[in-house]
Amino acid sequence: MIVAKNLSKSFQDIKAVDDVNFCIKKGEVVALLGPNGAGKTTVMRLLTGYLQQDSGEISIYGFNITENREEALRKVGYVPENAPLYPEMSVFEYLHFTGALRGLSHDDLNISLAEVASQMQLSEVLNQRIDTLSKGFRHRTAVAGALIYKPRILILDEPTEGLDPNQKQDMRTFIKRYGEKNIVIVSTHILEEVESIASRILLMSRGKLISDTTPASLKNLYPNKNMAEAFRLMTSEK
Amino acid sequence: MLQNFKTIFYKDFAAFFRSGNAYIILGIYAILSFASAFYFGGYFILDNSSLISFFHFQPDILMILLPAVTMRSWADEYRLGTIEYLLTQPVSYGTAVCAKYCATFLFGMLTLTLSLPLWIISSFFIELDNINILSSYIGCILITGCFCALGCAISAFNKNTVIAYIITIFVLWGVYSLNLDFLLTSTQQFSDEVFAKVIRSLNFSKHYQDVVSGQIGLDNIIYFFSLIFPALWINIVVLEYKKK
Repeated sequence: MIVAKNLSKSFQDIKAVDDVNFCIKKGEVVALLGPNGAGKTTVMRLLTGYLQQDSGEISIYGFNITENREEALRKVGYVPENAPLYPEMSVFEYLHFTGALRGLSHDDLNISLAEVASQMQLSEVLNQRIDTLSKGFRHRTAVAGALIYKPRILILDEPTEGLDPNQKQDMRTFIKRYGEKNIVIVSTHILEEVESIASRILLMSRGKLISDTTPASLKNLYPNKNMAEAFRLMTSEK
Repeated sequence: MLQNFKTIFYKDFAAFFRSGNAYIILGIYAILSFASAFYFGGYFILDNSSLISFFHFQPDILMILLPAVTMRSWADEYRLGTIEYLLTQPVSYGTAVCAKYCATFLFGMLTLTLSLPLWIISSFFIELDNINILSSYIGCILITGCFCALGCAISAFNKNTVIAYIITIFVLWGVYSLNLDFLLTSTQQFSDEVFAKVIRSLNFSKHYQDVVSGQIGLDNIIYFFSLIFPALWINIVVLEYKKK
């Protein structure tokens, strides 16, 4: 379970996140939705301890991210925006590195590595250097790196960016399935993605959480509008 | 913690070789070291029982080459965006800093081993003072440790590896040239012996020369470690500060 209380973060005079509160339980796929600059990525960075909040607190399965950073992060798998990777490594080396960082034993690591490579369809490029991979493969490698230790919370910033339509569909199916037994938080601009994978929407605008709803409720709010129009109305109204 | 240390250490150390930079740096080190010893150091002219013609130029060579090793340690993580990945792993900042530092330090040691053939070959032709040479190597290891710690800390400030390289050279030059003896002459009337000792003890090259000349003492060791540990601490503080 993730609990965020009165979360605020500013960069100089700009309030990137302003008094945000939410609680996410196991089995939820949460879409962080909002226009550019709404504060989605900042929220993700706060949840993963990459940034320090100015005020408020975050608890991940009972561990405060500020006081028990390492314990809290053991539960979290995170793929940042643009899926940064080490270009000189091969896919195998990268996955091995991520697994070893999580303390997986040699045998467990080999088993998990084979599993995620097959799950993310990386088997054919395992020995290829990352800087020679296509964007789609790079993205899947980053996701595989986050999955190798089977985290209870998976946080993905723009998870389908750079993927072809088939790969997008596969990724969405995967997210939905993974979210059945875990927590998945995705940040996205693609509204059809929200509709197809999310069980809950946290709608943000100008650093504030303006709505904590479900895709169905969002549609019901504006019965004659589609999701994109509802999104536009909500983020421009408030 | 040890597992994380080993993982990051291995990743960074292997990265030197994966990128091919290692071979360039090792090659340049070998050329500069031997050229300086043979051509500028008067290897064939001077009494070289302690290989002084080789060790005399080591600080200058390491000052140019080690920043090329350390510049990538954090700056590259920022440039590639992998810093966001690395710092969201359950790894303490101290572990990550120490692992990266040790990777650069070990690489620095590896460059030094390239000079071992000179020691071995010279021993066939000259009667060498091996204790003194060993002491000189300890001096080189200590300055490698200092330069790597300072280089890594400077790299943590920067996104740009070239800027990190230039600043590191500048800072290392400043530290190496640090000589405040002029204060003693200008404050001769007021200064006491303790003050004079403190001022003299800040002289980096004096400590190196002490070690190289075989007069290695506890004060020399303490001096070098008093540069290494604060540099590592600064490195951690910079990472913590960038979270805010």
